[in-house]
Amino acid sequence: MKKFMNLLMKEIKELVTVQLVVSLLFMLVLFYFIGQMSKKEVERAASVQTITALDLDGSSTSQGIIQGLSSARFNIEILRGMEKEQAIEKTKNGESNFLLVIPPGFGESLRDFKAEEVETYTFMRSFSLIGSRTSAVLKGVISALNDVISNNYLKEKLPASDPEKIKNPIRSQDFVVVKDKMAEGSAAQVAGMISSQSVLVPVVLMMIIIYSSQMVISAVAMEKQNKTLETLLTVPIKRTSIITAKMLSAGLVGLISAAIYMVGFKSFMGGLNSDIQSSTQAAGVMKKLGLTYSTTGYLILGLALFITILCALALAMILGVLAEDFRSAQSMIMPLIFLVMIPYFISIFADINTLSLPIRIFILAIPFSHPFLTTQNLYLQNYTAILGGILYVFAVFVVLVGFAARIFSSDKILTMKLRFKRKKTPSPA
Amino acid sequence: MSSVLSVEGLKKFYGNLQALAGIDFEVQPGEIFALIGPNGAGKTTALRIMATLLTPSEGRIRFLDFDLKKEPEKVRERISYLPEEAGAYKNMKGMDYLKFMANFYAHTQAEERQYVNRAVGITGLGGRLKDKVGTYSKGMTRKILLARALMTKPVLTILDEPTSGLDVLNALDVREMIRRYVQEGTSVLLSSHNMLEIEFLSDRVALINKGEILDTGSPDELKTKYQATNLEEVFRSAVR
Repeated sequence: MKKFMNLLMKEIKELVTVQLVVSLLFMLVLFYFIGQMSKKEVERAASVQTITALDLDGSSTSQGIIQGLSSARFNIEILRGMEKEQAIEKTKNGESNFLLVIPPGFGESLRDFKAEEVETYTFMRSFSLIGSRTSAVLKGVISALNDVISNNYLKEKLPASDPEKIKNPIRSQDFVVVKDKMAEGSAAQVAGMISSQSVLVPVVLMMIIIYSSQMVISAVAMEKQNKTLETLLTVPIKRTSIITAKMLSAGLVGLISAAIYMVGFKSFMGGLNSDIQSSTQAAGVMKKLGLTYSTTGYLILGLALFITILCALALAMILGVLAEDFRSAQSMIMPLIFLVMIPYFISIFADINTLSLPIRIFILAIPFSHPFLTTQNLYLQNYTAILGGILYVFAVFVVLVGFAARIFSSDKILTMKLRFKRKKTPSPA
Repeated sequence: MSSVLSVEGLKKFYGNLQALAGIDFEVQPGEIFALIGPNGAGKTTALRIMATLLTPSEGRIRFLDFDLKKEPEKVRERISYLPEEAGAYKNMKGMDYLKFMANFYAHTQAEERQYVNRAVGITGLGGRLKDKVGTYSKGMTRKILLARALMTKPVLTILDEPTSGLDVLNALDVREMIRRYVQEGTSVLLSSHNMLEIEFLSDRVALINKGEILDTGSPDELKTKYQATNLEEVFRSAVR
């Protein structure tokens, strides 16, 4: 144990370099600031919008419309005694991003059931993603105008009726059923909520696998490049201890790095999603449907993730042996990344259960698919599938570790190399 | 006196390539035994097998009372190996490197301190041991690696081209270090293609070429046998 701890500490010290700490801190700070900036932008875009209105009609109808907009979460700034061009110029130089121009004769046309056009001017002051939300606000303005006008008209003609019931005589009450539980809400809302909640899992998995595997591959490759591997293999410590120390140190540092990354990522995502008002309502629906993780659920997910990470590290160890030096180790990570990317994208764009059998078998054969499937199976309480997945990944891990241990205990640790050029026989010198 | 290392009919194949064609030799206690031969002769392969890095394809190797192939972990506790192109962990300070390596062999902290103190004396690097190994010259790195190999007083020290790539002064230092510390009882198995170095260091020599041992004896015996003035001439005559 003393020898193992000695080796483990050395491996951790080799991995935790000043460069790693600085880059992680930099990433953390960067994500935090981007998140804060995004949050401010989102809040600004989601706040009450100011609309500048130029009423060239002056009828009771046009005044009613403006009043209706005021009550529909818009702040109205009315311009008086101006021509259209002057109004455009004034709005351009002001803080409002919208100008609504109601033409002369507007009220009279509506009274005669003639379609009339209002003019809207949107002043795009930025081209950011958040800035594009202005078009959604504009649509809201037109929709609100139509609502106000049609409601006023219907009230005038049929004072005893509710205009909303006339316009939308058929209404739907939506229910979602999951297994034996039912709740009022839309399927799109539930699917959106699950998707937004489970987006973190694949990202976490990706980050840990990439960080840790890269570290293991680099650690083995660096031992080769710095010519320290031969000496290490002749010291009195079991070869399995060498493998375990490298995997454990990379796993630990990878986990911590991923945790730091996730704190930053969460801060960033928190900034982007700060205006989601429906999340509380959707959360209630999710709870009613039993679509929430229990403590046991989180433990199962953690176990699935942990075994998958071990599996990735064992594979990385084998790939590290194939690398000749640190440089070639960088390309050795690619097969592993592909194996993670395939289930990641499929889990986003498709339902594995609806895929054809050969593709389904292919996906299930990739050990890294199972944590993605576990997140979905946990919601649906498919514990058999979860257990099967965990056992399969564990079996793959045992095979890979056995293979890695065999390589480390044989000549192959020194002679096995993956060459992309011509094959060479090892020198007997 | 029973030998420290006994090798009989050792063969090694890399696929279809035969690196060692059935070699026999013995290393006696307190002896410096050298394998000399040109590049590609099989010296490093032989040393890597003795260091438990490679497994023999055929043959029998006894180290003390242990079968090297069956009990490599017991062998590793009693040997140390310095590869030709060995390096040390560049981010470690020299002193930390010695402590790290001593920890694998020492059973107590006192024993670990003893090993480290011994290594400090062997290196002669003084205050530079507080610096990172990455800042060392090639000669300094070789000295710390040799100190690491000798500090635990192994039964057998295996040195592959111990002065390879060193300048004259550093090579002299390293040779003297080997000579001095062998007097304390360790046996040495080394390889080199520097015949002068071998003549200075070795008690006995095996001439190896194309995976075969051509002859074995002390440098003086071989020079007499082949009527040569130095080992280079001996080797040339033996090959012919």
